[in-house]
Amino acid sequence: MKVLMISTEKLPVPPVRGGAIQTYISGIAPLLSRKHDLTILGISDPGLPDQEKKGNIRYVRVEGGYLDVYKKGVAKYVKKNKNKFDVIHIFNRPRLVLPVRKAAPRARIILSMHNDMFDPEKLDPDEAKKILKEVEKVVTISNYVGRRIRELHHAKPSKFRTIYSGVDLQRFTPLHQSAKARRIRKKLRRQFKLGSRKVILFVGRISPKKGADILVRAMNELKKRHPNIALVIVGGRWFSDDKVSDYTAYVRALAKRSSVPIITTGYVPGEKIHEWFWAGDVFVCASLWQEPLARVHFEAMASELPFITTKRGGNPEVVERNNGVVVDRPEDPKAFVNALSKLLKDKSLRKRMGRNGRSLAEKKYGWKRVAKEVESVWKA
Amino acid sequence: MKAYQIEPWNNVKRVNLDTYIPPEVEKIAKKVMAHYNMKVRSRKLITSKPDKGGAIWKIKTNKGTRSLKLLHRAPARSKFSVWAQDYIVKQGAKVPALVRTKNKQLYVEMGGKVWIVTDWIQPLKQASKINLKGAKQLCYGLGEFHKSSKGYIPPEEAVKASRLMRWPKYYEKVRTKIGWFRELAKAYKHLPASKRLLSMTDRFEKQASDALTQLEKSSYSKMVAKDEPHWGLVHQDYGWSNGQLGPGGLWVIDLDGVSYDLPIRDLRKLITSTMEDMGRWDVKWARGMINAYHKANPIDRETYEILMIDLSLPNEFYKHVKEMLYHPETFLKREADAVLNGVMKSEKTKWKALKKLWTDKKKFKSGNYTGESSRAKRKKKRSKKKRRQR
Repeated sequence: MKVLMISTEKLPVPPVRGGAIQTYISGIAPLLSRKHDLTILGISDPGLPDQEKKGNIRYVRVEGGYLDVYKKGVAKYVKKNKNKFDVIHIFNRPRLVLPVRKAAPRARIILSMHNDMFDPEKLDPDEAKKILKEVEKVVTISNYVGRRIRELHHAKPSKFRTIYSGVDLQRFTPLHQSAKARRIRKKLRRQFKLGSRKVILFVGRISPKKGADILVRAMNELKKRHPNIALVIVGGRWFSDDKVSDYTAYVRALAKRSSVPIITTGYVPGEKIHEWFWAGDVFVCASLWQEPLARVHFEAMASELPFITTKRGGNPEVVERNNGVVVDRPEDPKAFVNALSKLLKDKSLRKRMGRNGRSLAEKKYGWKRVAKEVESVWKA
Repeated sequence: MKAYQIEPWNNVKRVNLDTYIPPEVEKIAKKVMAHYNMKVRSRKLITSKPDKGGAIWKIKTNKGTRSLKLLHRAPARSKFSVWAQDYIVKQGAKVPALVRTKNKQLYVEMGGKVWIVTDWIQPLKQASKINLKGAKQLCYGLGEFHKSSKGYIPPEEAVKASRLMRWPKYYEKVRTKIGWFRELAKAYKHLPASKRLLSMTDRFEKQASDALTQLEKSSYSKMVAKDEPHWGLVHQDYGWSNGQLGPGGLWVIDLDGVSYDLPIRDLRKLITSTMEDMGRWDVKWARGMINAYHKANPIDRETYEILMIDLSLPNEFYKHVKEMLYHPETFLKREADAVLNGVMKSEKTKWKALKKLWTDKKKFKSGNYTGESSRAKRKKKRSKKKRRQR
């Protein structure tokens, strides 16, 4: 089949500057391109040519940054190539659907939803209804995302399909499987003076929704029960932008007074993130908001780390077969103290959970499975 | 080779940032000026934003004195403001007119930024800050400005800037951040000012909560259902320097931050800062300012209510204590006492004054909001008409 995949206006594909959607597209595209003729439409970037062919994949890049600007470039391209594609698959930008439909009146349009773009503050409900009519299928990255859209716009459940995202199982690997991983763990621990401390790992944007502040606040209490710990916070505030926001300043100010070492690494490029999973002992997702389903869970599982997540949005959907712990009231630091304490005091539990996570990831969360499911939607 | 992209230059070492402009930017400035039908005799830097990459020059030309501006925002955002300025000028408001390029364009895009040339309005002088007359002039001018911004629709090349729907989010943000102040006061409890701050956070957090509840109960959601052009533009940086007395009345300058909003927010900020400067809330002043505004851009009862709710947010406390997030120790050791003294002094008179101001609500006529968007309303009218024709 000939398929056009349309990315977002924020970051380029491949994910040279990070981005969940960009990572997702780049995770499945090589697999899908073995049988299908793929074109990926995304935004231009000073480090990337405006057109290129890599392997079986054609990349076309138009000006982005703002959706209104990007929309025009997308519509123009689609119009010029309207009869070339069997399927047009749009990623997480419902507002591109109608312009694409206008440019290609007969195309089959698939829409993948990764977050809350259908919420009324982000999308006019009238437009949302029209969009849902125009698309053949809405693929969502968690049941939560699909449920939310259906609740808001009374859409038909049959139009929706959950396809969980994936992780690179060759890059995110269990620590004990490679000498390289152990070497890197040692190196990072030395570099950040972590010694023999149990490392609580947080990976994600430093934004109020992600709850890093609650985790920092939990540390003083946790130290009373587990004196030999450290919290490592991996991630810049907003993709590769390391400017200090009010919130970052707040977290830093809290960290400065903490009795537990709080290591903030700043922005770590995507291709290095997996190393931190080797350095950690327990992974925590502290999200306070109704999160669609954070990719970091898959990364923790693949790395054989036991994890803690919150009962928000789609996050609890990944907890099964004793691979992690769900915190019900994440706005309360004590909830994390208790959950973390349970894991920190029980080495065999940590091990078991880690193993369960890895085996689940191998079964369910590889890109191969994601690609296969996406393909089945294209072929439907 | 990619052309030079203008970036912030605040990290340039060993220069005086107040007067420094990167040579590449200077070069582009000259190229930009060549796009205009004018001979530039002199060019003087008036002000710059090294941390953002923006600047204003006063230029003397054979066509008179003008201003050259490098707008720091992303081009598509800047274009929203540039077209707005042109629109407002055409409505007859006292805003510097844009000079067109040789190709009749409103701006030049170069170095990854938008540049404009406008008239230099002179003479401009500040309205009096010490008597109510000056404040009234400023408010009347603001009203005129808002009124003439109504109906603006940006062209396709611009990105829409709007804060219209964001009020509840902003109120929540204020409340959340006061919670952060509390946590920091706890974390830094060894510093004496922390205790005092800690004794105040509950009070101001409650004020933020109450304001949010009131906003939710108000006509806000019905009001914002009207489309954005109905409300027009907020200036966002309006005060004694961006509103000044000149030929024919009050001129509004520096429009590059304009955005769709309930524009009354500009008046709220002006009232808050004026009361702060006076060290107490003065009903006569506040009333005078609101009435002056109302004369130029009539306020309806619902808008008046929003203004009152917005005044009741702990704006003063929030704005000053926010500094603490960045330098908790310095703030708590050196600045907190003075800041909190100021805030508490104004608190003494604020609530009594607000109570009186609330009673004025009935003097304003209702706007009769139905909660329907203007677009939907027009559509309905059209279909009704059609039905009748049939």
